[in-house]
Amino acid sequence: MDLVSISLLISVVLVVLLGSGVWIAIALLTCGWIGMQFAPGSIPAGSVLATKIWGNAASWELAALPLFIWMGEILFRTKLSDEMFRGLAPWLRRVPGRLLHVNVLGCGIFGSVSGSSAATCATIAKIALPELKRRGYPEMLSLGSLAGAGTLGILIPPSITMVVYAVAAEVSILQVFLAGFLPGLLVMVLYSGYIAVWAMLNPDKMPPMEPRMPLREKLRESVNLIPCMLLIILVFAVLLTGWATATECAAWGVLGSLAIAWWSSSLTFKAFWDSVMGTTRLTGMIMLILAGASFMSTSMGYTGIPSALASYVDGLKLSPFMLIAALTVMYIILGAALDGISMIVLTTVVVLPMIQKAGFDLVWFGIFLVLIVEMAEVSPPVGFNLFVLQTMSGHDSNTVAWAALPFFFLLVAAVAIITVFPQIVMVLPQLVFPG
Amino acid sequence: MLRKLLDGLYLGAGYLAGVFLIAILCLMMALSIGREIGLNVKSGDDITAWCMAAMAFLGLAHTFKSGEMIRVGLLTDRLTGRAKWLSELFSLVMAGIFIGYFAWQVVVMTYTSWLINDMSTGVLVVPLWFPQLGFTIGLVILFIAIVDELVHVLAGNNPRYLKEAPKTAEELVERAAQSGV
Repeated sequence: MDLVSISLLISVVLVVLLGSGVWIAIALLTCGWIGMQFAPGSIPAGSVLATKIWGNAASWELAALPLFIWMGEILFRTKLSDEMFRGLAPWLRRVPGRLLHVNVLGCGIFGSVSGSSAATCATIAKIALPELKRRGYPEMLSLGSLAGAGTLGILIPPSITMVVYAVAAEVSILQVFLAGFLPGLLVMVLYSGYIAVWAMLNPDKMPPMEPRMPLREKLRESVNLIPCMLLIILVFAVLLTGWATATECAAWGVLGSLAIAWWSSSLTFKAFWDSVMGTTRLTGMIMLILAGASFMSTSMGYTGIPSALASYVDGLKLSPFMLIAALTVMYIILGAALDGISMIVLTTVVVLPMIQKAGFDLVWFGIFLVLIVEMAEVSPPVGFNLFVLQTMSGHDSNTVAWAALPFFFLLVAAVAIITVFPQIVMVLPQLVFPG
Repeated sequence: MLRKLLDGLYLGAGYLAGVFLIAILCLMMALSIGREIGLNVKSGDDITAWCMAAMAFLGLAHTFKSGEMIRVGLLTDRLTGRAKWLSELFSLVMAGIFIGYFAWQVVVMTYTSWLINDMSTGVLVVPLWFPQLGFTIGLVILFIAIVDELVHVLAGNNPRYLKEAPKTAEELVERAAQSGV
C-alpha cells in the first residue's frame, strides 16, 4: 500500500473508533498497531510498544505532572474561591464594568495555582455567578466572562495541557510555562478591556454603584488573598533562587497548598486522601493517553507519513500566516469533537514536522495550541466550560454558548496578536534560556 | 466473594498508587532541600522516575472503574437501550484486545529483564525487573478490570463505570477538577 492509502486507512479507523466511544488511549494504541503493520522491514511491534512506553513513563520530568495536578486538587477543596471574591470585589468599584472584573482576575489568580481550565471555571463560578446575579449584573456578560476567563487555568502556568504538550513535542516544560505568562496577561487585558468597553456603552444595564468601603475594611477583606499570593511567590522564588529545579518546584507547590489548606482548617485526613486519589486517577488517565500517543507517533514515524506530509505542505509554499490560519480552522473543527489533551496528542505527531519546516518555534506553537484548546473549551458542542456553566446557571447550552461567543472571538484575536508579535510569547523563555 | 476480591484488588492497587504519589513528593523535597544542605540522595531522580511509572499504571484499574478515562461522547451519549449496550460492548471488546496485548508485551519485557538479569544504568544499580514490576502489575490489573466489566456487560447489564450527570454545584466542581481539561 502507498502512503496515501495507509494514512486514509488509519484516519478512518481512528474516526470510527473515537466516534463509537472507544476510550481515546485504546483508539491510539489500535492505530499505532495498525501503523506498525505497514512499517518497512520487520520491526517487532510488541516489544517497541513495551520498551518505548516504559522509557516514557519512568521519567523524572513527567513526575511534575501528578504534583501540579495534586496542587490544584488540594486547593479546590479549600475555601479559596469564597475568599477570592470577597478579597477582590472592594478594589473594583471605580473600574468600568466593576465586579465583573472579579471573574477575570479571580480566574487569573486561581489559574496561576491550578492547571485545569474546567476546575478554574467551576471554582470561581461557584461563588461569582450567584453573587453577581444577586447584585443585578447582566447575566450574559457574567456567564461569558466566566467561560472565557476559566480557560486562563491552562494558559497561566502551571498547566496540565502545557505539560502534555511539552512531553508530546519533547520541549522543556519550564520553557513552555515561562512562555505562557505574557499571553496569559494579554488575554486578561483583552477580556477586561471588553468588559470595560461594554459597561461604558451600556451604562443602563449595569446595577447601581456599590457603597463605598473605607480603606481599612478593604484591606481586611483582602487579607484572605495573601495565602494564595504567597504560594505563587513561593513557587517562583524557589525556582529562581535555584533551590529547586522546574520539576521540584511542583513539590514546593504541593507543600504550600497543604499549608494553605491547613491554615484555613480544611485539611482533614479525608480531604487529603481524596486529593491523593483524585490525583492518581487523573494522572493515570493522562498517562495512558500519553502512552497510546507515543506508540502511535513511533509507528507513524516508521511509516514516514508525518515527514511526507510536512514536505507536501512545504511544497505548497504557504506563507507562515496562511499556514497558521489554516491550522486554526482545522483545530477549531477538531475541537468540536475532542477534548484538549486528546487534540494535542493526536495532532502533534503530524503537525510538528510541518511547523518546524515552516520555521516556527515549538515553544511558541505550544502556546498557540493552548489558546486553540481554550477556544474549544468555550465553543459548543463539547466545550467543558460551557457544560460547567450550563449546569451551574440552569440555562440551556445555546444561551451559554451565545454568552461565551464574544470571548471566543477575543481568543481568536489573541492568536492573531501572538502570530504577528511572536515576541510576546518568546521574550520570557529567551530571557531565562539565552541562546 | 470473587466480586469483593476483585473490587479490593482494584482499590488496593489504587491506594498503592497513592502511596507512590506521596513517595514522589517526599523524594523531590529530599532532593531539593538535600542539595542546599549538602545531603545527596543517591539516584533520587531514578527512584522518582520509577515511582512515577508505578503510580501512573497501578491506579489505572481504579480510574477505569470510576469512569474517568476520556472518551468522545458526542454520538454515544445520545444512544439509549440496546444501541447503547452494543456500543459499550464494542468499546469493551476493543479495550480488552488492546490492553490485553499491551499488558502481555509488558509482561514479556519484564520477564526478559529478569531472565537476562538486565541492570539499571544509573548510580544506583538494581535489576531492572524490580522497578518494572509496578508498571507491569498495573497493566495486568487493568486488563482484569476490563474483562470483569466485559463479562458483566455480556450478561446483559449496563457497565458500572457510566456516571449520572452531576446535580449539585459541589458535584460539578468535583467532576470538573477530575476532567483534566
